[in-house]
Amino acid sequence: MKRRTFIVGAGGALTALSGCTAGSIIEDSTITLATYDSFVDGEDPVGPWLKEEFEAEYDVTLEFETPSGGINQYIQRAQQDAEINVDLFVGLNVDELIRIDEQLDVPLFDALDGELERSDRIRDELRIDPEGRAVPYDTGYISLVYDERSVEPETFDDLTDPATEDQLLTQNAQQSDPGLAFLLWTIHEFGESGYLDYWADLQDNGVRVLGSWNDAYNAYLAEERDIVVSYSTDQVFNGDVPRHQIGFLNDQGYAQPEGMARFSDAPEPEAARDLMEFMLRPDIQGGIAERNVQFPAVDDAELDEEFDSLAHVPPEPVTFGYDDLLGNLEGWVEDWARQIRS
Amino acid sequence: MDIRYRRTETPLLLAGFVTAVLLVVMLYYPVASVLAAAVFVDGSPSLDPIRTIVTDPFYWDLFGFTAYQAALSTLLSLALGLPGAYILARYEFPGRRTIRSLTLVPFVLPSIMVAVGFAAMFGTNGPPNRALAAFGLPTVELMFTLQIIVLAHAFYNAPLVVRVVAAAWENVDTRTVETARSLGASPRRAFVDVVIPQLLPAVLTSALLVFIFTFMSFPIVLALGGLQLATVEVWLYDRIRTLRLGEAAALAVLEAAITLGLTYLYLRYETAQAATRGLTLRARKRLFLTLNLERLAIAAYAVVIAFVFVGPIVSMLIASVTSGGSFTLRYYELLFARRDAIVGTRPDLAIRNSLVFAVGTLALAVPMGVVISLMTARDTLSARVVGTLAMVPFAVSGIIVGLGLLQTVVFGVTVVGYRVQVTGATAIVAAHAVGAYPFVVRTVSPALSAMDAHLVESARSLGASRVRALIDIELPIIMPAVAAGGAFAFAISIGEFSSTVVLVEGGDAYTMPVAVERYLADRTLGPATAMGSVLLLVTSVSFVVIERIGAYGGIE
Repeated sequence: MKRRTFIVGAGGALTALSGCTAGSIIEDSTITLATYDSFVDGEDPVGPWLKEEFEAEYDVTLEFETPSGGINQYIQRAQQDAEINVDLFVGLNVDELIRIDEQLDVPLFDALDGELERSDRIRDELRIDPEGRAVPYDTGYISLVYDERSVEPETFDDLTDPATEDQLLTQNAQQSDPGLAFLLWTIHEFGESGYLDYWADLQDNGVRVLGSWNDAYNAYLAEERDIVVSYSTDQVFNGDVPRHQIGFLNDQGYAQPEGMARFSDAPEPEAARDLMEFMLRPDIQGGIAERNVQFPAVDDAELDEEFDSLAHVPPEPVTFGYDDLLGNLEGWVEDWARQIRS
Repeated sequence: MDIRYRRTETPLLLAGFVTAVLLVVMLYYPVASVLAAAVFVDGSPSLDPIRTIVTDPFYWDLFGFTAYQAALSTLLSLALGLPGAYILARYEFPGRRTIRSLTLVPFVLPSIMVAVGFAAMFGTNGPPNRALAAFGLPTVELMFTLQIIVLAHAFYNAPLVVRVVAAAWENVDTRTVETARSLGASPRRAFVDVVIPQLLPAVLTSALLVFIFTFMSFPIVLALGGLQLATVEVWLYDRIRTLRLGEAAALAVLEAAITLGLTYLYLRYETAQAATRGLTLRARKRLFLTLNLERLAIAAYAVVIAFVFVGPIVSMLIASVTSGGSFTLRYYELLFARRDAIVGTRPDLAIRNSLVFAVGTLALAVPMGVVISLMTARDTLSARVVGTLAMVPFAVSGIIVGLGLLQTVVFGVTVVGYRVQVTGATAIVAAHAVGAYPFVVRTVSPALSAMDAHLVESARSLGASRVRALIDIELPIIMPAVAAGGAFAFAISIGEFSSTVVLVEGGDAYTMPVAVERYLADRTLGPATAMGSVLLLVTSVSFVVIERIGAYGGIE
């Protein structure tokens, strides 16, 4: 448990002193939030802003941890009885929830969805966890980004058409979130028995599967190709220009909700719960969405108008839930990867 | 001959002991904790994980392709590196030392930087293709091919060939060449019969290292080639990510078996090469004196180097000041502003940490490497086994080492009732030294085995202690090799990622490559390329400075 006395400058010292004379020591709890790198690093990241907003209203210090292995770090700690001194994990995907449940017999997180006051404002279609451990706080939509001067992909069939030959760039679903989302999108469309045939057609039409989002987007920026799998918020960075048009295949986009969850043995469970509640507030939801360049999870978020006009929501969001993926995911990805590789 | 080694004295024994402890704590034990899953299933011994892989034709293809691309990459690295080694060793020209210092720069670059540089330089719209198109010639499509992967591997590894072979070339005894010439051998004949045998250990050492490194290659393969051209390491990474650790361990064991097997075969060759060697070094020729065929060939080589090495590096720098096609300093301003960040990764701290760790690694890895070299510079089975084990840091996938460190020293190990954890700066330096010392071994060992053993014996019989003989006789002779190994140790530390990122563990001990990775958000490349360019510049300057300091200290 991390506690520390909070004394800032002379004024703070005075407060502490007066606190002492009153017979109590003013103490300030610290909570630790584990998340992914870009939550705290990158351009105008959400982390520092959230820290400032939260600490202004609560007597709690917020700290961050960005383990390189993401959630695996905590799964493995739990498996090996090593301490988890973290209160909250922010940035859970549904595939990670499945991995947690396949690897661990003991609960890693508490189920708080439904218990939080603002739970009922969360959009239902974003709920990825039937057990309510992961509380959605934002979502992204995977779409295509394309150059309208050369191509106009509107349907899945367009991507296997000679007009888009050697144009599509995507990512390795084994390692990349948008890559996995695009693969799942094709499975959603063509079914478990049909998706590999569709990918065979994509391969015949020259699809290139690179490693990470960065790899694919870098090749797209170098104008190697004119279609890349990316996020529907692309224009927030690049503006509404011909090279950065958003393509929703069959009017769909694959939703990728992100959840937050409190660790079962969180050192500061109450403060962690306060932070979760705080992160669902309309103004904070808007701030998170804009800085994360994602969409809010609640239906009453306060969003900046310019952001709203450049971040596109697909007419028909699709996604697989926990129950659809459990027991299937690994096999789907492996069969796909082997087909691409050979 | 063996007697002189049996009478090893206390300081050397102590150094050997410290080396052994570091290796066990930071390498063997962590790695074993992961690899155990390859031969144990639910606590009992089993060959199932390995059998699953060797009976699957898919993996045969995967291993076959991985070895094939590594072999091609090794050949191209040699083709690009050997002329460079020759020029640096045999010619004198202004800026020679600086150029030699800078040869190591590609070696430390994060893969995303190389991917950015290569896509900009060799892509459909790169300068060479635009020039071809301007003359109405057909363009060359390199992106997403095996060729560009091999070229990128050569970009990383040809510098290694240059450094290792140049160090050996500088040590070629001029008297042996002169003797051959005075006996009537033509220059060509003298080169083939006298110089090449003296260079061969270094050439094969560098080829072995390049093969091992490119066999384990992973991010650059996916960035420039794609999953269609995936290597074993891509599957290994997937198994680690999804925590299918048995299969991951089995893959890593097979990888290590291949690379260590090659190492063992090489060591049999190297230790069998017991040549005698004196000390007379050859004078360098002046490069800009006369114009002849050889100098024209060198000029052509310089053009190739500008194309393959300078081109991508300049492209990286340009990418860091470009946004949407126009010039911007935005990403650097962002980095500059981050110096005061309360939350997140500070660039200035990353620079400082990288430099401190690299100096620490240099100070630790060089003695470790020299000690192991002295202990293994014999043609015996045990020496070859120790020599082969010394290469484990290269032979085991970095992903496995990282995971091993995480689940042992980072999570904590229970030792006589206490939970012992090792993270932060000290752990990082130790891990870097463990990862870097094989370079010192591999550069120093050939030099030692080529040295005339009678020199040390004479000194010992005249009353010199073992340590004194080492300082007065061996070190001066092998100094170019030690310097080359030390430069690599420094470079390995600067570039190391997979162990560092694990050992930072939420603290402030992050390095420049870790900062680059953290600035890579799935939305924009700008801040990461700016940080990568800072890494490039800081590393270049420090390589030059180190080499200058070395020159003052009498290390060529």
